Amino acid sequence: MTNLTTSFAGKVNSKLVLDPTLVVEKEGRYFLLNKDLKSVARQDFFYAGKYLGKMKKGKFFPSFNLLAMLAEAEANKVVVDEKAAWLFICGRDILSERITAVHGSRRKGDFTLVLNGFGECLGFGRILHDLSSKDINAAIRNVSDVGDFLRRER
Amino acid sequence: MSGKQFFVNRYEKMGWNFNEAKARQAIRVNVANAKEKNILRRLRSNGVLLDKTPFLETGYWVRRSRVSVGATAEYLLGLYSIQEAAAQIPATLFSDVKGKLVLDACAAPGGKTVQLADFMDNTGVIVALDVDKRRLSALANHLERCHVSNTVVYNRDARQASGLKLNFDRILLDVPCSGNFASDRDWFARRTLKDVKRNAGLQREILAEAAKCLTDDGEIVYSTCSLEPEENELNMHWATKNLGFTIEEVDCHGQKGLTNVLGQQLDVSVERCRRVWPGETQGFFVCKLKKRRNDK
Repeated sequence: MTNLTTSFAGKVNSKLVLDPTLVVEKEGRYFLLNKDLKSVARQDFFYAGKYLGKMKKGKFFPSFNLLAMLAEAEANKVVVDEKAAWLFICGRDILSERITAVHGSRRKGDFTLVLNGFGECLGFGRILHDLSSKDINAAIRNVSDVGDFLRRER
Repeated sequence: MSGKQFFVNRYEKMGWNFNEAKARQAIRVNVANAKEKNILRRLRSNGVLLDKTPFLETGYWVRRSRVSVGATAEYLLGLYSIQEAAAQIPATLFSDVKGKLVLDACAAPGGKTVQLADFMDNTGVIVALDVDKRRLSALANHLERCHVSNTVVYNRDARQASGLKLNFDRILLDVPCSGNFASDRDWFARRTLKDVKRNAGLQREILAEAAKCLTDDGEIVYSTCSLEPEENELNMHWATKNLGFTIEEVDCHGQKGLTNVLGQQLDVSVERCRRVWPGETQGFFVCKLKKRRNDK
C-alpha cells in the first residue's frame, strides 16, 4: 500500500517513505494512522487518521494532506506570487512570470508542488515548458488544487 | 401545539422577550495549523474585517468582508473554520483533552470534531460517529481540509456507541435537536411540540448510551441548538435522576439554566447549565455532566 504514496512522492522528487504498518486501505482510499489510532480503529471505519489519497481507474490521486507532507521536505516545488496563488486555487495554470522561486526540477514534463509565499502547498501541477527559459505562456499546468474542497460540495 | 405564537408564548413564560434575532457569521482560528495573529493579518489584507467574540478564545465574528470567508485560500488550507459562535462553546468546556480518548457521538458535519482535534493538538484519539452516511463526506472533507490526523470516523448511530467496546475520557453529545428560529427562518412553520418531544426522547436514549461508555472520571458535554426546555433543562434533570450524573459548574457565556420550567420544579443543580437566547448568536444550550461519586 505504501508503494502508491512512495511512487507518487518519487514523481515530485520526494524521498518520503511511510511506515507500511500504519498505512491502511479502505475501498480504494488510503489512510495513515498513528499508533494510538491503530489500537482503536476497527475495520469498518469510514475515515481514519491522515487521508493520503485514492485509487480510481488504476490511477492514484493524492490528497492535500499528502501534498502538504511532501512540501515539508525536499521535493520539486515552485513558489508563486499572490495573484497566481489565487488563480491556481481557482483551477487555472501558472504563468512563468508569476513564479518567484523554483526548487528541484525545472524540466518539462515533471510534476511539481505549487506553494504560496507563506510556503503552504496549494496543490500540484505539471511543468509545461523548461522553467529556465523565459516564457510568458503557461508554465505549470494545474493538476489538482485546494479549491477542490469547494468543487466537491457542488 | 405549534405555530409562532405558541412557541413565542412559551419563551415569554421562560423569561425571554422574543425578538427576530439573526446570528452573526463567525469563524474560529485553527491554532494547530496557524498562528492566530498571522491569520488575522492575512484576512484583514483580503478585506475581511473581524470582531473578537468576547467569550471565545479563538473565535471572531465577521463584521464585513469583501470576499466569501468560505472561499479564501486560508479557509481552503484549513487555517480557520466557519463555526457559529455559540456552537464553539461546547468543546471549550472539557477540563483537558490532550492525549485523551474522546467520543464525538453526533459528529457530522464536523465543526466541533475539528475544534476538538485543534484543542488536542492532534494527540490522543477522537472517535467520531454519525448515523447519516450522506453527511460523512462533509465530515471527511472537513477533516482533510483542516489536516486532522487523530480521528477515526464510523457510520454508526450514537445509540450504539457502547458496541465499540471503548471507555471514553470525554464525550461530546451535540445531539440532534429541533434547532431554533435564529438559524432557520422557516422554523415556526415546520416545528411542533410533538417534534420537540420526539427529539427529547431520542436525546435521552443517546444520553443513556453515553453513560455506558464513559470512564468513571470522565466528562460529558451535552449541547443542543434548541430553545425548547424538553430538549434541554428537562433532559438534564432526567439525566441526574436516572443516569447517576451530576451537573458540573461551567464558566461560559449564557444564562443559568431554568429550574422552574413552565410550572415544573427541577433539581437546583440544573441552573449550572447554560442557556443562550438568540441575539448575536443563535439559540443554544450546554451542560457538563460527570458521574456521581457514589455511583462510580
